[in-house]
Amino acid sequence: MTISKLLVANRGEIAARVLRTAKARGLATAVLRHTSEQEGPAHRIADEVVMIEGPTPVAAYLDIPQIVEAAKRSGADAVHPGYGFLSENAGFVAALEKAGVTFVGPTSEVIDLMGDKIRARAFVEERGFPVAPSAIEDDDPATFVERARAVGYPLLIKPSAGGGGKGMRVVRDDSTLETEIETARREGERYFGDGRLFVECYIERPRHIEVQVMGDGQGNVVHFWERECSIQRRFQKIIEETPSPALTAAQRDEICETAAGIARAVNYRGAGTVEFIYAQDGSFYFLEMNTRLQVEHPVTEMVTGFDLVAEQLRIAAGEGLSAAQADIPQNGHSIELRICAEDATEDFRPAIGDILLLDEPQGEGVRVDSGILNGGKVTTDFDPMLSKLIVYADDRAQAIDRARDAVQNYVILGVTTNTGYLDAILAHPDFASGDVSTGFLAEQAETLTAPGEDISDLLMAAAALSDERLVSDVMQIPEMHRKMGGWRN
Amino acid sequence: MQRIFQINGEETECWLSHDSSEMILNTPDGAIPCQLDPTGTPGGYMLRVRGRAHDVRLAAGPDVTFVHVNGKTYAIGRVDPAERLAGNESGAASDRLVAPMPGVVVSVNVKPGDQVEEGQPLLVIESMKLETSLTAPRDGVVAEIPFAEGDSFGLKATLALLAPEEE
Repeated sequence: MTISKLLVANRGEIAARVLRTAKARGLATAVLRHTSEQEGPAHRIADEVVMIEGPTPVAAYLDIPQIVEAAKRSGADAVHPGYGFLSENAGFVAALEKAGVTFVGPTSEVIDLMGDKIRARAFVEERGFPVAPSAIEDDDPATFVERARAVGYPLLIKPSAGGGGKGMRVVRDDSTLETEIETARREGERYFGDGRLFVECYIERPRHIEVQVMGDGQGNVVHFWERECSIQRRFQKIIEETPSPALTAAQRDEICETAAGIARAVNYRGAGTVEFIYAQDGSFYFLEMNTRLQVEHPVTEMVTGFDLVAEQLRIAAGEGLSAAQADIPQNGHSIELRICAEDATEDFRPAIGDILLLDEPQGEGVRVDSGILNGGKVTTDFDPMLSKLIVYADDRAQAIDRARDAVQNYVILGVTTNTGYLDAILAHPDFASGDVSTGFLAEQAETLTAPGEDISDLLMAAAALSDERLVSDVMQIPEMHRKMGGWRN
Repeated sequence: MQRIFQINGEETECWLSHDSSEMILNTPDGAIPCQLDPTGTPGGYMLRVRGRAHDVRLAAGPDVTFVHVNGKTYAIGRVDPAERLAGNESGAASDRLVAPMPGVVVSVNVKPGDQVEEGQPLLVIESMKLETSLTAPRDGVVAEIPFAEGDSFGLKATLALLAPEEE
């Protein structure tokens, strides 16, 4: 099953990134664009842009019949889903199969299994891989509260159908358990249309470590080492890196082999990520498996030298993996920063605006996967992530220096972004020492958003001197009045 | 004319003047000699303030000027004092909770007549898939909550109104 034309059923930075590799492999390419959507980098790279419509732009990207139709109309024989949207939707995979279009990713059965957090957990546990102590509501709804209590505090309530941290609640005190369960249930219903829950033991000061795996669907699975993603805000990753500063070589082998073992157990096909909770004592537990390319995959590419999208396309075309485990190195250090349109000083309120000036950093060891163009518009239609800044260096300290230099020179004017916040994280001594947990951003919230040196005079001067009305006004005032200033109010 | 500049939530009313050799920014704290010269790069300028030179990138939007200097980006709000006076008949800024972005009301925690304290959550909105809790800008009594749970609203819509302060 060769692939000659690829439709990327996504948008933004990931669409552009997938298209680049597809073109480099000599494929014809197409990408989607909603009728109300601004032109982005992906639309310039693709050979063909297929317009889609819907009540909202997001709804259009989730419209399975329309996207299958778009694939057929454009003559694509394969679809790459990117991440988010339909990337982990078994119904989409089935619909493509029916239309005779190859899905670049795993089978619908594996997506289904791993998409159900409870079934996935049970599957992993049954095969002897480590999972955290837990209680699952569906096992016996009548005794759920009682069994949750038996797990012990602190505990974490999660929606069964969840992801991305939505609806998760930490409970430290028995008196709030039942109200928190009800709140989590409502959130689960609202976000996922499914109020089923489970609880698991909450690991204090945990780290989030995940492993990139790749399988050919023929029983061969390799891993591309780990990524540390402990820098999270409300369970959303913000900075990711590899290697993890927490792991010894032996621990690294153990966690990576565990992940590959889990992928082998489902005869995994394509790119996937096995996520673990890593406790301070070095123990780790299976969290979930994401059956798609991750946002943070570039750091893995930087240290291994592999193009993961190329691997995905090879596997989808039946060419198999390009390397054996022994051929996959982990060299140097890479860090990714997620550049988001949000105001860190206003509780991370999403920001909107026109991109008046865009000047991306460049140079040795600096990569920008961008979804925006100079002159573009940032709206609330989509996720606030605008682009990703990825750096590479020989070691972690140099990578941090390079990341700081690059993020400081990432000029985006016209919409407020989190570049200053990202730089504050990189500058924090605990980040430098690698002593962080997933609670780091919450614990350090005030330090990280503290206003810097007061340069109001400088800023007001810049704003005033670039204010055409103020300047033209003053230039028109007769000389004798100028010195009086502000004479007409 | 004058401008109100907003930086980190603080407002300063300023105007420009000019003497024989340079521009002067007049602030309530004093006069600041300054000068802005393009450097040739897009949005690039050499900004001199009290004789010190700074390499800046800047771009002015309709109400906000963005300045990138020393590796950081700042947003400076610009308000025309005259327009503020004209547009302010419907109540003081501290009486109104204005939508920071378009979105949907997820939940409403208070009703008209409720006594609220500064910082108390009044309603939760969702925008760009993120939930944000909006809090009372000051102590007071809720006068009006124009939107109900599930309602959509636009940018700068009034989401809550407090009764005007006495005095």
